[in-house]
Amino acid sequence: MTDAPAVLGIETSCDETAVAVVRGYRVLSNVLASQVDAHARFGGVVPEVAARAHVEAIRALTHRALAEAGMHQMDLDAIAATRGPGLAGALMVGFSYGKALAWALDTPFLGIDHMEGHLFAPRLDDPEYGPPAIVLLASGGHSQIVHLKDWGEYETLGSTIDDAAGEAFDKLARFLGLGYPGGPAIDRESEGGDPDAVRFPRALPDRPFDFSFSGLKTSVVTYVRKHHAAGTLPPIPDLAASIQEAIADVLVAKTFNAVEETGVRALAGGGGVLANRRLRARLAEEADRRGVALHLPSVAMCTDNGAMVAAAGVYRLGLGERTAPSADIDSSLRLG
Amino acid sequence: MRIVAIESATPAASVALAEGREVVGSSQRVDRRGHVAFLVPALEFLFDQAGWSPGDVDVVAVDVGPGLFGGIRAGLSTAQALAGAVGARLAPVSSLDAVALRAATAHRKIWAVVDARRGEYAVAPYQPVPGGVVREGGVELVSAEAFRAILASDRRDGLVVGDWEALPESVFRGLHGIKTGRPRYPAADAVVDLALARAERDDLPHPDEVRPRYLREPDVRINWTDFRREEPWR
Repeated sequence: MTDAPAVLGIETSCDETAVAVVRGYRVLSNVLASQVDAHARFGGVVPEVAARAHVEAIRALTHRALAEAGMHQMDLDAIAATRGPGLAGALMVGFSYGKALAWALDTPFLGIDHMEGHLFAPRLDDPEYGPPAIVLLASGGHSQIVHLKDWGEYETLGSTIDDAAGEAFDKLARFLGLGYPGGPAIDRESEGGDPDAVRFPRALPDRPFDFSFSGLKTSVVTYVRKHHAAGTLPPIPDLAASIQEAIADVLVAKTFNAVEETGVRALAGGGGVLANRRLRARLAEEADRRGVALHLPSVAMCTDNGAMVAAAGVYRLGLGERTAPSADIDSSLRLG
Repeated sequence: MRIVAIESATPAASVALAEGREVVGSSQRVDRRGHVAFLVPALEFLFDQAGWSPGDVDVVAVDVGPGLFGGIRAGLSTAQALAGAVGARLAPVSSLDAVALRAATAHRKIWAVVDARRGEYAVAPYQPVPGGVVREGGVELVSAEAFRAILASDRRDGLVVGDWEALPESVFRGLHGIKTGRPRYPAADAVVDLALARAERDDLPHPDEVRPRYLREPDVRINWTDFRREEPWR
């Protein structure tokens, strides 16, 4: 594999500054400066706080990624950076840095769609993964089901009609006082809880692959206020497990709708919500029951990282693509 | 000494190459939102014209504000990457210094102004000296009214430079001894001069210590009241 191209990947679309070196589809280094602590006190990502943290971290982190990969920057075959979608002020930092670095090193530059990065992430853990596949992408910023027909050929089958799944976790965890980010907090609190303690509604919009999570929030808030007043509120672990179950149910149902509808027998996932242990277990159960091959990446490859950007870069480089020096970020970039 | 200067702290972005004090090429564009798209093509063009390669660069000078947050970050990210790629030193420069340096006066006190948006202005006073300017006080973030009060209380004749057009006209009305002048925005050639002076004094920080000068905390607050209300059982 030493002949495979080595690509530096830079990801700054939201609240993680992440840089990685990938050779072919093998991860040589994958480092990250998480801003979770900086945003936790605000209960969500603050764009200006995110952008400030990126510009402070990007240089040192790039050097660390190269050092951990045992690589000199002169030996890179390309530099890839997230172009969008994401927070404009945050994207600007990694994109400007990557573009300038590529120019100065006289190496190709590739602006990468963050969502395409997520589609490539499972490939880094699992050489068996590839098209055709159905991919569930769910995080604080997006929730969608993508039909990976071929590399570079993506059809978004469905997406959320209101809140993203991760947003629902964040809002509900904040409401329950469990902390931020909400997904890991609810995952942690739900341990030992009964997922059937409270049957919160599962919103299943008519369109078979679309999600809706705003109704769940209203329903949980109403339920908690009513039962707290009456002194009949179930313990937090039961509440957390029940909320988690409602979100997982919807994601699993819609994802397998897509699997059955397309007849594709491979399933993968990406985005921070796919780090949720209950969702992973439910997807695994259901895939096993239906005989569908499941390619869930490790938790580190589900959340935002530089390696997935580099992996998409490896692919784009192989096609002979180059992103022009005059390119700008696109905060509302859409897959496909 | 070969210097590359990157200026993108205000709506006017510019890039300049210099051998010592002599600017061998520069390029400018006024477009508040276009800095990310402008900087690298401008560098590429100027390097081609000058016959330079990035490895020839000794110092990368960059305006770190105050000014447009996004523009400053685009400029600093670009400068950090270039400096890191070729082992050049990084020279951070103030936008107010760059504006004041190009003010044309021999005796007036200079007031440099950069629009910090949201009704606030970054201002600093300078004294012209042979060959340059010396800052006479700290950088302040002030409202238009507060700036007027500062000007009114100063007895010396003053020249206001920078983005004074962003101030309401009433700021200058009835003030004696105050004139307005150019330049409106800092430019890369002034960034070259300021960086060169620092480099010659060997006064350049470690690249990790170079941070934007925002002058303002992020505009967020923790809503403790709502947090409490939303944890009814604790």
